[in-house]
Amino acid sequence: MPGAAAETDELAREVAEAESGPQLEDKRTGRSPGQIAWHRLKQDKVAIVCTMVVLFFVLVAIFAPLLTSLQAVDPVTGAKADPGTIHTELVDLNGFPKQGITSAHWLGVEKGIGRDLFARWVYGARPSLVIGFVAAALSTIIGVTMGLLAGYLGGVVDRIISWVIDFFLSLPFLLIVIAATPIIELRFGARGTLTAEQTSNIRFWLIIALLVLFGWMGLARLVRGEVVSLREREFVQAARAIGVPTRHILFKEILPNLVGPIIVSASIAVPAYITAEATLSFLGAGLVEPTASWGRTIADAQNSFQSYPLWLWPPVIGISALVLALSLLGDSIRDAFDPTTRR
Amino acid sequence: MLTYILRRLGLAFTVLMATLVSAFLLFFAGPADPAQAMCPEQRCSPARLAQIRESLGLDRPLPVQFTEYFSGLFVGRDIPYAGDTIHCSAPCLGMSFLTKRPVSEEIFSRFPATVLLTAGVVVIMVIVGVLIGVLASTVRGTALDRILIGGSQVFGAIPYYVMALIFALYTTRFHSIFPQAGSMSEGLLNFLPGLIAPWLILGLVSATGYTRYTRNSMLDSLSMDYVRTARSKGITERKVVGKHALRAALSPVVTILGLDIAALLSGTLVTERIFEIDGIGKLSLDALGRDDLPIILGTVLVTAVIVVTMNLIVDIAYSFVDPRVRLS
Repeated sequence: MPGAAAETDELAREVAEAESGPQLEDKRTGRSPGQIAWHRLKQDKVAIVCTMVVLFFVLVAIFAPLLTSLQAVDPVTGAKADPGTIHTELVDLNGFPKQGITSAHWLGVEKGIGRDLFARWVYGARPSLVIGFVAAALSTIIGVTMGLLAGYLGGVVDRIISWVIDFFLSLPFLLIVIAATPIIELRFGARGTLTAEQTSNIRFWLIIALLVLFGWMGLARLVRGEVVSLREREFVQAARAIGVPTRHILFKEILPNLVGPIIVSASIAVPAYITAEATLSFLGAGLVEPTASWGRTIADAQNSFQSYPLWLWPPVIGISALVLALSLLGDSIRDAFDPTTRR
Repeated sequence: MLTYILRRLGLAFTVLMATLVSAFLLFFAGPADPAQAMCPEQRCSPARLAQIRESLGLDRPLPVQFTEYFSGLFVGRDIPYAGDTIHCSAPCLGMSFLTKRPVSEEIFSRFPATVLLTAGVVVIMVIVGVLIGVLASTVRGTALDRILIGGSQVFGAIPYYVMALIFALYTTRFHSIFPQAGSMSEGLLNFLPGLIAPWLILGLVSATGYTRYTRNSMLDSLSMDYVRTARSKGITERKVVGKHALRAALSPVVTILGLDIAALLSGTLVTERIFEIDGIGKLSLDALGRDDLPIILGTVLVTAVIVVTMNLIVDIAYSFVDPRVRLS
């Protein structure tokens, strides 16, 4: 097999490094699984490229106002573009933009109401990233806590948590979320009493809440399984025997052993949540105007794609590149933590 | 064995009951007011709203409504509407506020479209996934392997709906490479051609997971002793891969498939919206836009039943194959 020699080399190098411990002062200690994974990840070209792509989008999101202000002053409106202002004077009677790409509108303007598409594109990176990372962080915390409790306490607690996991897993996620969103929204005010901005804000946090509510079970199940086997190991029993409090055992003794699977699961969750947000926005149950969102823009632009493809393509490329980079990065992280992977 | 199956059945039952109760509470005890949505005028007077609520039976106490709904599931019931009575036979999921037809009728009339869509997707997914997976495993470590696996990774990582949308826009609407979806009511021959495009895109995207899964499973079984034995006996490589290794590699793939079909059935929502196929997904999305609560509740329940049943079948089948499962 052609890969065998390279594998042996890699193995030998890893063993040699583990023995000499290049990053560690104490030569007797080996590297932790986290260190090995980090080392592998740094050598993974795909992971590095993907990290740069993700960083690019994070920078775009952070500096969205600055990027928008780089565009020239529009001679017609006499002002610089921003993501929210409607300029019907920039479109003709059929709704088509009077001009294509100009120095004032790098990606042209929206059909119909003439908002600047470049500004909406850079601002559109914000909700995607915030929802993806916040929902992943929250669902990871809940999943880990539930898994630890179920696995360590066992008995009735385990049975209840396992049942709740089964329950949530059997619900059709997309359908429930789409159905529940308008209903929950009504809790905050009757139809027509909320301003567009309020609705948009409610939707934003509602999406995060629903994604977390339906996203913690996988990790909880995984952590539970690991904890059930770790619970009986000697070091945990020893800790228990000398009277270490339960909370300390859970977070200081057991949790460090689960860092790998938790990081892997969180890194795979981020692109999944970003996709879910864009899908919901596309189906009409996600973000609403005036928040700039790639999913919304795609939904609006799809009907004019023949006459005005420039409206559709930037958000399509944006969401695809971001999710692709995050997914491949997640795969790389999983491979880096997996001791059986040999590449 | 029997206790395991019974326990698993009990779990499935309680999960379904909880789904029913929580979905009912969410939709009927929640702040959504179907009367408001059904009001034909721009703003209805409170008296008109009360009249609509009464005609739908929404003014009665919640436990009464729930008991009625629950018993209707098993024995059917008569639904009074505007002086008339509509009979709804078991399993009765209520009556659509808009079409005034029983929900179960609406759902079952759309069911064949979704099933046909899913069936075609499963066929493409399994054939393409397994073929490419096996091919990649036999050329392991070469450039072809990297192209196949890398390609499936990239293809599978792009958000599905974006890919399906672009595919639909450019192959069915912009250029008529594939026919657009027809209506199921105009006969099967009218309907099936419209499924080619969604079959292809959903099948190929879903196949990416199977490609990687089959490849890993094949690599495991190719490294087994019996494969070495087969090779040493001088059997052709084709037979070694196709018969000895593949058979062992397929059983975990089949398990995943059972779980995936349930997810696919409920996950055709986006596909049906994009390709405008008259299935369950489109039915529920349309109902959402019009606050037709009984339809939404019905589709949620039916999909939950499908998911739970499939999980149950896979679990029980698996416990026959692998006795360790029963003990956990």
